Order: sequence, then structure tokens, then C-alpha cells
Amino acid sequence: MSNLNIDSVKARTFDAIVIGSGISGGWAAKELTEKGLKTLVLERGKDVKHVVDYPTTNMYPYEFDHRGEVPLAIQQAAPIANRCYAFREDAMHFFVKDKEHPYIQEKPFDWIRGYQVGGKSLLWARQTQRWSDFDFEGPGRDGFAVDWPIRYKDIAPWYTYVEKFAGIAGNKDGLKELPDGDFLPGYPLNAVEDYFKQVLSTRYGGSRHVVSARCAHLSKPNQIHIDQGRVQCQNRILCQRGCPFGGYFSSNSSTLPWAEKTGNLTLRPFSVVHSVLYDEEKGKATGVKVIDANTKEEIDFYAKVIFVNAAALNTNLILLNSVSNRFPNGLGNDNGLLGKFVAFHNYSARISAEYDGLKEYKTDGRNPAGGGYIPRFRNILKQETNFLRGYAAGFSAHRSMDRDLSKIGNDLKNELLNPVLGPWRVGSHMMGETIPKEESYVALETNKQDEWGMPLLKISMDYDDNDVKMKADYIEQLTEMFTEAGFTNITPNTASQAPGLDIHEMGGVRMGNDPKTSLLNKWNQLHQCSNVFVTDGACMTSTSTQNPSLTYMAFAARSVDYAVNEMKKNNL
Amino acid sequence: MKRRSAIKNLLIIAGGIAILPACSTENGKASIQLSNLSINGDQEALLAEIAEAIIPAGDTQGAKDLNLHLFVLKMVDDCHPEEEQKQFLKGLDQFNDLSNQKFSKTFMKADIKERQELLATLDATQPHSQDVEAFYKITKRRVIQGFLNSKYVMTDLKQYELIPGRYNGYFPVN
Repeated sequence: MSNLNIDSVKARTFDAIVIGSGISGGWAAKELTEKGLKTLVLERGKDVKHVVDYPTTNMYPYEFDHRGEVPLAIQQAAPIANRCYAFREDAMHFFVKDKEHPYIQEKPFDWIRGYQVGGKSLLWARQTQRWSDFDFEGPGRDGFAVDWPIRYKDIAPWYTYVEKFAGIAGNKDGLKELPDGDFLPGYPLNAVEDYFKQVLSTRYGGSRHVVSARCAHLSKPNQIHIDQGRVQCQNRILCQRGCPFGGYFSSNSSTLPWAEKTGNLTLRPFSVVHSVLYDEEKGKATGVKVIDANTKEEIDFYAKVIFVNAAALNTNLILLNSVSNRFPNGLGNDNGLLGKFVAFHNYSARISAEYDGLKEYKTDGRNPAGGGYIPRFRNILKQETNFLRGYAAGFSAHRSMDRDLSKIGNDLKNELLNPVLGPWRVGSHMMGETIPKEESYVALETNKQDEWGMPLLKISMDYDDNDVKMKADYIEQLTEMFTEAGFTNITPNTASQAPGLDIHEMGGVRMGNDPKTSLLNKWNQLHQCSNVFVTDGACMTSTSTQNPSLTYMAFAARSVDYAVNEMKKNNL
Repeated sequence: MKRRSAIKNLLIIAGGIAILPACSTENGKASIQLSNLSINGDQEALLAEIAEAIIPAGDTQGAKDLNLHLFVLKMVDDCHPEEEQKQFLKGLDQFNDLSNQKFSKTFMKADIKERQELLATLDATQPHSQDVEAFYKITKRRVIQGFLNSKYVMTDLKQYELIPGRYNGYFPVN
């Protein structure tokens, strides 16, 4: 880059750089630009403009060549993404082609990636439960990982802050293990979900609950949502295509357009971040090195503060690849823990059944929340099982339609056009907390590089004995609960799935109080490089049982607030 | 062949999707462009009759009206592994033999009652070749899928709602 003149450097200099435009990067961008910082957002994939770049969003089922199925040739080019429930004909263009983005599975790991502006915020399942102190105090109480450097009270105001803007539908349920938030009206449970809620309440003395799942949908928009150009969710449940109403929260519909309106945003798609640049004299990061995804040209960009929000594992990759004399093992990695203590959520058990009652009801329309949510009920107040921690679970019911497909001719046609209502079908899946361990790690394979010259990421994490016991308990408890409710044909499904398919990978750049045992402090700031912040899944010290995205949003907003205050005090 | 000639060079609407017809239908070739399957006009005609026997026209449109056989071909061509494609073709070719055995005439010459009787025996899992079984399973599943997901059924017969705008978890059943 020696031939570049001063003006070019100036054009490549910003107040802040955000690496990644997904759910946490979008929030960092919104907060930084609103606070007046000229901000460059780097995204390795293509641009996806709200509405304009949702090519399938208004298509009817019969307008898809394969009626939603993914043609075999495309499945074969994306064998990993193909395992994801949302990889269908209507949304497959929002997933990476696995063959173009190789990585090394030291142990099986389904790494689901969406490389585009908005990242996986276009595709997510939109569940937004707050974490509680039972989660933040977990590692300290149960003696794993390191203690979180924050408690619920530290992040609670920031949950409120992001909930108000994003729009979260939910009810005030008054549960300590699932703190209430600043909600739009919750989506109601249906007849059988409500019935199951009552059964649990009676049978377990108020210690097990079914609540309406809290989700990032505009059940009843406020002015702040209208101001974003978003309107009420229309219950389409075609969210993975991108929503023309902005009915659910994504970077594309919400934070990025908001950031753009400030005039302070520069968005650069097709920018693969190679590394964070470190200046040894200043003892700070000075910018990032980018490889243009199309031209493969290297370009350096400069800023006073850098937010790394590339999604958990790619954030690890970038920091591990940010080597200098001062940091030969990756930025801020004096203790050698960068990339270690990664974990995920255990989704490897499901259970389904039928219910013969309440046949006077069915459902009409569609529920964006997806149904009910069973907050963790194991080991909350004290250790009471032979495994650590616990699991949350989804619970939903729908009225089945019966069609006898063994018929032929007019009889078959009649069956198809006039199905009869069958029993209610109920289902649940577990979402188990897994324990971050040193032997669970990601690292660079420097001998192998991708098309852009980036070293490949090696991924090594697996289920352990604790997960096996927890999974057995989930099946046992849910079977008991289903039996209590009089459900029949109770069918557990314990077919395992590789870690990663949960799309809740976390850690590797964990927060903590002690620089010897953690990478980030309580403000998500690298202990060893004070102008670099990590507020995506990489920062997580433990995994909880709640969906993590809302917490990433809150961390991003909180961390930007801190960073900008520090900049004003000339501390960064 | 007359019907195919008539629609030559037109966009074919198979179960609602536009499919570009191949140029050479008059040479006994299939009327749609396929990447993996090699289908001639006779095979296509046979498949159309099988689909029609599964979902016949009556007061409402049937498989032929909706070009569901072309939908079956497209799905088998794009979405099934090579092994199933081979089984599909073999099973299709054995269909006339099967009909010959049962009624001493080809499927094409059998009347609609005989055709449906034959299909009913396949549904009842009477002993028959694996290829026929695989072919019939795929075909029936895809015909049903194409029917239920056709524009005709989704707009004229049953209302598919792209935008429900509501949710009621206690909707009374009459």
C-alpha cells in the first residue's frame, strides 16, 4: 500500500469500524452513528437492501419451481447448510455455498453461515428471551469456565433499551429465571398450549411453566418502529425470505437503515476482513486489513475504535489471524485462551405426542412466536440432578389434518380437497446449556487457505457426559409431563445432530474479570488492546439456556455507549 | 402427439410453473427440457395417463389439465438422486407389462376403471417389482404435491393466504 497518497488514506479513515453487519454488528453501527461517529461497516458478503433484495418474499408456493424443495445439485454444493431447517428454495440464497467456504472439522460441526449484509439476522428464529442472574451466576456457582464480570442488573437497562427499538412481543410472566422485559403484546398460546401450561402449573406447584415465547415481532408497533419504516407483523411466517413489512427485527429492516439515516454510515459489502492492524508504539489497534472479495485486492482501513462482530467463530478467526510482534498468537491473546472455551446449545432431543381433547378448537392464522416456551426448571436454586445446569424447551401444539392418501381417483381428490380435522399434535425440543471447556476450541490451520488467502478455521467441540445426562433427563421429564397431560403416542426422538446446527455457537473471546483467564473485560473490551471491542457470540463466558441474540444486541449497545464515553475522555 | 404439437413453442404451465418446452416434440421426445432424465414422447404420454388416473378431471380440473406429469418429471429430474431416477424410468417402462399381465392390454389401452384398479393394487402393496414400487411411490407423491400446490387449487379451490394477518389459538370448530 506504499503508493497510496495521503488523500486515499484519509478516505479510508473513519472514527469507528464495525466488522460484520449481522444482529450485533447492526446494533454497533446504529449506536456509533447515532452518537456522531463516522462509521465503516464491513461485510464480507453481498449487499441485501431491505425489501429490494428479498427476491422471494412475495412468492406463492406454486411460484417456486420445486415447491420449496432445494434441487439436489444445490444441496450437494451446500451439504452443511442443507441440514438447516431454513435452507429451502425460498431462502437458500441467504446461506453460503459450503464448498466456497471450507473449514476443518476436527470433530463434526455444522457451521451455518449467512454471508451478506444482515447476516443471519435475516434468517434467525427470532426468539428473544432475557438471561437472568441464574445464568450470569452459573459459572461461578457451579465452578466451570470463569465468573461472568457482569450481573443481570448491569445489562437489564440495556435489554430494555434494545427491546424498545427492536420490538419484542411477550407477556410479563413474573418469573425470576426469565426476567420480564419492555414488551409489545405477546402472542397468545393456543388451546392445547394453554391447557399444558395449566397442567404443569397444577402438577409441579408453580415450578414449571409454559409462557408465550418472546419474539422479535411487531405485534403492535410503537412510533419508534413506524419511524424505522416497519409496520405490524402480518403473521406470514415467511420470515426467512426477508419481510417486506419489517414485521420482525433484522439488521436490514431496522438498525442499518437507521444508521444510514444519520449520514454517518459507510457500508462496504464484499469486504473479507483479514486482520485487525495493531500499532506497537501506540499500543492500540489502528484499523483493519480487508481483502476485497471480488478483486482480492488488499485494502487497509483506519479508525480509532474497532468493533468485531463477525459472528462468533469468524470473530475468533479474525482475532487469531491478527498477529504482530506484540501479539504473535492473535490480538490480545497473551494468555493463550483465544479460541478456547467455545460451546453451543444442545438441541439434540425432541419429543412429540397427540392429544385427543379440546377438539372443539383449532387454530386460525399463524403464530409468529411459534408457540410456547418452557423456561429452565432444573438446578435453578441449587444443584439437584446428576448433571450441571439445565435446559429450556420449546412447546407447541397444532391441530392435525387427516388425509387418507392410499385412495385413488376421485376418492383421493376428495380426500385432498376435504381433509378432516385430526387430533392435536404437540411437540417440544430441548435447548440445553453446554459447558465451555478448554478442550473445546477453534484454531487456525495456517497451511490451508481459502480463496481469499485466509487460513482455514479448525473447529473442535463435542457433546460430553453432562450433555448426555441432561438429554436423558429432558426426555424423562417431558415424557412425564406429557403423560400428566394425558397426551398419547408419546414419541421421543434422540437422534443426535452435530454441534453447530443449533446456530448458537458461543465463546472463544470470553469476558471475565481477570486478564489472565479471559480476553474481554466487563465492557466487552479486549484487556490487552483497549480500542477493540467484541460484542457478538464470541464474547460469551457461558451459554445459558436462553436464545442468545437479544443479549448480543444489549452487549453491543452497552459497549458502544462505554466506548464513546471513553473516547470523549480521551481514554481510547 | 396432437396435443403436444398444439402446445409446441408455448410455455407449459406444469402445476403452475412455467417450463420451457424442448424444440423437438414431434420426434417423439418429451415436451420439456430435462437435464438428467431421458424421456420420450410415449413415456411422457404414459406418465400423463397414470397421473390422470391418480387425480382425474371431473367437476374440477385433474392431473392432465394441470400438467402434473410434467411437474413429476421436473421434480424427479432436479430433486431425486440418480438411483431413484433410474428406478423411476425402469418402473415407468414396466407399467405396460404390469397392465398386460392383469388386463391383457397396455395401460394406455386400459380404461380408467382398469387403470385405477391397477393403481389401487399398488397402493395395497401387492407383490410387484421394486422399480415399479419406487416409480409409483415417487409419482403418486409428486402428483399429490403438484396438485395441492398448484395455482388452481390454491386460488380456485382452497384459499392459500400469503398474508393471514391474524392468529387465533381458540378458533371454534363447527
